Amino acid sequence: MSADSDMEYSDNDCEYDDYYNSGEDCDVEHLDPKKTDPEYFEYECLTVEEVEKLLNESVEKLNTILQITPSLAKVLLLEHQWINQVVVDKYRQNANSLLVETRIKPACNNTDPSLEVENVAATTSAAAAAAATESSSTSSPTTTTTTVVVTPQSLGTLSTYSKSPTTTPTTSNSSSSLSRSQMMCPVCATVQQGDKFYSLSCGHSFCKDCWSMYFETQIFLGISTQIGCMAQMCNVRVPEDLVLTLVTRAVMREKYQQFAFKDYVKSHPELRFCPGPNCQIIVRSREIAAKRAVCTACGTSFCFKCGMDYHAPTDCQVIRKWLTKCADDSETANYISANTKDCPKCHICIEKNGGCNHMQCFNCKYDFCWMCLGDWKTHGSEYYECSRYKDNPNIANESVHVQAREALKKYLHYYERWENHSKSMQLEQQTLDRLRQRINEKVMKGRGTWIDWQYLFNAAALLAKCRYTLQYTYPYAYFMESGSRKDLFEYQQAQLEAEIENLSWKIERAETTDLGDLENQMDIAEKRRTTLLKDFFPVEA
Amino acid sequence: MSSLPRRIIKETQRLMQEPVPGINAIPDENNARYFHVIVTGPTDSPFEGGIFKLELFLPEDYPMSAPKVRFITKIYHPNIDRLGRICLDVLKDKWSPALQIRTILLSIQALLSAPNPDDPLANDVAELWKVNEAEAIKNAREWTQKYAVED
Ligand SMILES: [Zn+2]
Ligand SMILES: [Zn+2]
Ligand SMILES: [Zn+2]
Ligand SMILES: [Zn+2]
Ligand SMILES: [Zn+2]
Ligand SMILES: [Zn+2]
Repeated sequence: MSADSDMEYSDNDCEYDDYYNSGEDCDVEHLDPKKTDPEYFEYECLTVEEVEKLLNESVEKLNTILQITPSLAKVLLLEHQWINQVVVDKYRQNANSLLVETRIKPACNNTDPSLEVENVAATTSAAAAAAATESSSTSSPTTTTTTVVVTPQSLGTLSTYSKSPTTTPTTSNSSSSLSRSQMMCPVCATVQQGDKFYSLSCGHSFCKDCWSMYFETQIFLGISTQIGCMAQMCNVRVPEDLVLTLVTRAVMREKYQQFAFKDYVKSHPELRFCPGPNCQIIVRSREIAAKRAVCTACGTSFCFKCGMDYHAPTDCQVIRKWLTKCADDSETANYISANTKDCPKCHICIEKNGGCNHMQCFNCKYDFCWMCLGDWKTHGSEYYECSRYKDNPNIANESVHVQAREALKKYLHYYERWENHSKSMQLEQQTLDRLRQRINEKVMKGRGTWIDWQYLFNAAALLAKCRYTLQYTYPYAYFMESGSRKDLFEYQQAQLEAEIENLSWKIERAETTDLGDLENQMDIAEKRRTTLLKDFFPVEA
Repeated sequence: MSSLPRRIIKETQRLMQEPVPGINAIPDENNARYFHVIVTGPTDSPFEGGIFKLELFLPEDYPMSAPKVRFITKIYHPNIDRLGRICLDVLKDKWSPALQIRTILLSIQALLSAPNPDDPLANDVAELWKVNEAEAIKNAREWTQKYAVED
């Protein structure tokens, strides 16, 4: 939790760069990756133990400052995004209202416990007295005038629950009088010794067997830090220490701690569970942004902010909207998923078996675009318009029917391209696998070493990265308002798309492509990608 | 079967000794956790005059878990579906072990007086209840006459 590690990073940036750029043109841009790389993201992958340690440090720090129990500290931190300072300030300002707000104490005691448990058995006068004591000086609408100003000092040592004192219990209107030290539990309706009873600050008192059975039921449902008092309508929270005091079965205690840990991590803005299947890693970043995190344990890559697949340049809300729409409209979009199309010139059926969208008909050798079936010649230039959807300018005057058809057409335009690039990525992976085989054969025959061919794999990795970003530009464009900014976006998108297809074309023909030519193409594609991200990828503060 | 918890015995006794007006709950002869329930339709509600049969079952972990309650008599109500299942918060997330059979039955009676179409279980009924309350109330009256009134 120290700020020092932050400093380390920025201090080292220069050294780091000098070391790697020695001899090369050290241009100023390289000095701060935070500024030059729109996808730059600092994070660490932590184990459960490491995160537990981190959380415990926070808890201990708060204990030391406020002199409160770890159990209470955990609740307060959970409810305040684990920001120590906020808790400390609030506590010092008005401890009582903080405890009410975090449901450690009841809001006000206008609830008479005896009414709530509706005399299957009576509550104790001790409970009623306790409830009266808890009444805050500002918010008590009842006739009870007993108000106790609770100072932080007295709260510091105050336990969040208590074993009921064995004061004179009242009895249920129908049951016979009980001896002084006995009470009836309203849940199990059995009479027990007073020292078997526990209550929270609300004063609702129940026997320890009922509490522990109740806790186990709640834990079984996956509830942990949010377990509430057993009394009806009482929202006072059961803190960890009472649960762990009364739940004795090891397996249930363990489950409770696991669920509570999940709640703690989820409430901590800097922490995210790795979404990889069965992965235990927790990713931590001080910057809470929609940036790509890659789990070092399982390799899963995801958006740190929302946990879904990384989606730059689109932001979290828009990608969610888009994916929901795609799921809703999956029927409509199905027909376009076909892998075959007819050649626009000779009409022979062509199957797409590579990722590149620059197609060449095996029959008539016509070069065309898989997406729009247009002549590929028009795709290489500044006038590349394949990615752009042309809105009907008169749409407002058209009938509802035409408008609906137009809306579907527009959606399908974007969906088709989104889907197509995703497929291209898979096909390019297959191309790469084939390439790897061929290279393997070459190496076996003594034609070069693996190192000689490494550049091709680098090129393929870069292609995948560029196409991934390109895929996610389509949801972005779909939800964009028309205007000059959208024009600029679609211009850059088209540029990126053109260069990606060129790169894909060259990689598919890798063995005959000139190395310098390929490297040049890689450079251009990546430049287009970062330019688009710099201009459009929202980088939050 | 394990012996009956004291809590259930107590509740049953009290239900018999001090019955709630308009509600009758009798445990089954062979199963003390199963109750035959009769709720009379509240006055000034479309269910007035109806005698509604319900079944109530106390699960093994009662009162840690809520009782299971279901209407047997057909009823036209936005929070009760065709199978008689009831959408009521105290039977679900608002259940508290301090609640009892009698409080649950009182809540169900109250639900008949005040249907809540914004939290529907029977969607078609809730929809009509929102767009045309008069029509919905008329339907509820007809169903009450048809299914809940003995000739
Ligand atoms: Zn309580
Ligand atoms: Zn008890
Ligand atoms: Zn992982
Ligand atoms: Zn996101
Ligand atoms: Zn052709
Ligand atoms: Zn095209």
